[in-house]
Amino acid sequence: MKMWTYIVRRLLAMIPVILGVTLLTFLLTRAQIGLWIASLLGRIRTPSARLAIIRQYHLNAPVYVQYFYYLEGLVTGHWGFTSGNDLVAGAYRPVLQVMIERFPNTVELAVLSVILVVIFSIPLGVISAVQRDKIPDHLSRLWAMISYSIPTFWFALLLLFAVSHYVSIFALTGSLSTSPVNYYLTSTGAYQPWVSHQGGLILGTKPTGLLLVDTLLYGDFPAFINGFEHIILPALIVALTNMGVIVRYLRSSMLDVMGQDYVRTARAKGVTEKIVINRHVKRNAYTSTVTIMGLLLAGLLGGVVIVEDIFAWPGIGYWLAQAAIVDDFASIMAGVFVFAIVVVIANLVVDILYAYLDPRVRLG
Amino acid sequence: MTDANSTMTVTEPEKVRRSPYSAIAPRLEQWRRQFYYFRKSPLAVAGLIITAFFAFLAIFSPLLTTGNPYQMAINPFATNLIPWFSSWRYPLGTTYFGVNLLPAMIKAARIDLAFSLAVVATGAFVGVMVGAFAGYYGGLFDDILMRVTDVFFSVPYIILAIAMIVVFTKSFKDVAGGIYTLLILSLIVIWWPTYARIVRGQVLSVRELKYVEAARASGAGALRVVFKHIIPNSMYPVFVQISLDVGTIVLLLANLDFINIGISNITQPEWGNLATYFNYAQVGLTLALQYPWTFIVPGMAILLYALGLNLLGDGIRDILDPRMRR
Repeated sequence: MKMWTYIVRRLLAMIPVILGVTLLTFLLTRAQIGLWIASLLGRIRTPSARLAIIRQYHLNAPVYVQYFYYLEGLVTGHWGFTSGNDLVAGAYRPVLQVMIERFPNTVELAVLSVILVVIFSIPLGVISAVQRDKIPDHLSRLWAMISYSIPTFWFALLLLFAVSHYVSIFALTGSLSTSPVNYYLTSTGAYQPWVSHQGGLILGTKPTGLLLVDTLLYGDFPAFINGFEHIILPALIVALTNMGVIVRYLRSSMLDVMGQDYVRTARAKGVTEKIVINRHVKRNAYTSTVTIMGLLLAGLLGGVVIVEDIFAWPGIGYWLAQAAIVDDFASIMAGVFVFAIVVVIANLVVDILYAYLDPRVRLG
Repeated sequence: MTDANSTMTVTEPEKVRRSPYSAIAPRLEQWRRQFYYFRKSPLAVAGLIITAFFAFLAIFSPLLTTGNPYQMAINPFATNLIPWFSSWRYPLGTTYFGVNLLPAMIKAARIDLAFSLAVVATGAFVGVMVGAFAGYYGGLFDDILMRVTDVFFSVPYIILAIAMIVVFTKSFKDVAGGIYTLLILSLIVIWWPTYARIVRGQVLSVRELKYVEAARASGAGALRVVFKHIIPNSMYPVFVQISLDVGTIVLLLANLDFINIGISNITQPEWGNLATYFNYAQVGLTLALQYPWTFIVPGMAILLYALGLNLLGDGIRDILDPRMRR
């Protein structure tokens, strides 16, 4: 019962943040009201259409009233249109539609990156704490520092340069190979049940939207492997450039736990060092490391934008990076809004998870 | 693994403990001890050396470079780029447009350092002011501040930067040095909440201390209490954050340059810009992979700069926060 009140309280605390984000995007749209009207207009740009838009969205009402109409537009899906120069998402397409189409791809990349971060950083953090102030500790701390300080695009280019002797970089861009050589047949010899377009899947042929899951659902293993070949390098780059936070936090929380009384008691009882570390220290250190995952995700999504741009990954980041150049205003605003929602929800999940793992949080 | 035990308790070294100043000048004594711990950490010392090196480059860049590294080649994307380590005149090679990389990078050190300091110093100033007063007064102002910082923390920096730049780029078209002004201002807007949050957290504990109460009891006004007693005693984590962010800003700027909305003028020596010259070509990425030194060299400068500052900041954190040292 206590847990439920905690969740409800946490959900209520989410509302002001989301309203704040909408207020931020609202203020930005009002700062460039001309661009915003242009993105609401879409393809038809006559003066009468402009007047109709101003009337429809109440753009000549007082500003605080406009905010509520803006909220109404957000909720009812009037997110504007992409600009006429947006070649990546398509010219004058509804932003919400593009967002729905591209969102799963970014989620897929981000989730795989988070998984890789966890896989890589746990051993490093543990070794670092256990072998404190020795060579392995210095090395892992140094790597954590480097992963903080490395420019994402530069690291991606380095990795591309390293693999470019073996693979054509065009075989690595997009989320699936589209060349005729790699056009997949299903196991029965029929053509694949989906249609590939510009290195991604067409909307109607995606049950979940996550490529790796969809290919498995269709039982198309060659396509799964091809998709995996495309995703692994971007995910690896995002993971390697963002793992420093977790390594450092895990190290310091391990050291924190190792100084606790119950660890000393365990040692005094004659429990072997290995069991002390595995059973007493790690378990508590992991629990507190969960809290940092929300922060990790916010940083990681920033890296995702850059990496998507390099690998032409059909996600939000690639779209936004290209939209920024052509002043595709509605897309950028939608990007700010959606990324904020993702991070806020991730923080919510993390907090609930932490409250579940550590009862002191929800009871205290 | 077995002697994790023995390293758990750090006994203070003899020569620090037997210092003659300890009774007379406790603050000096504290500094001596902190400096001792700083010196003992190889990573922190390495960070200090790297940072000092870049500061040296930035200060003396006019003396270190002669002539103009930007002697434009006739065909900017000609294939006769000079590779690194193959000539004394062009030690790190040339990049597109025939730009000599080494002097261009030394010139860039000054711009990058100035840029990051401008953003961080202003951002920290604004953040400290807002955070200190919000923490001191509490109440509605404090609540609003917290919600505002929540909003800024929930959007990735780079997305916010893109949004700010796209929105205000037209307004800065005609300003002198427009793109720099725009970038600096947008990054300040994005960066101050970090400092406000840090300072506010510090102030909440500092304002309950006895000397603040004493100052208030002796009739000091809010301004005096905040500026004389609260801010000076809440600044340590701010200094750590500043040293970390000075590196991060250059990283963010380089990433913005990469997606072509940062500094995109070929005559501007800026590391991120130098590393992304391939963007000016039609088939940029493949070109970059053909001439790897053109992006590896400037990127390495960014990496070292950010790494040095991160190591330094980490070292400072270790000596200021004994809990981390242990």
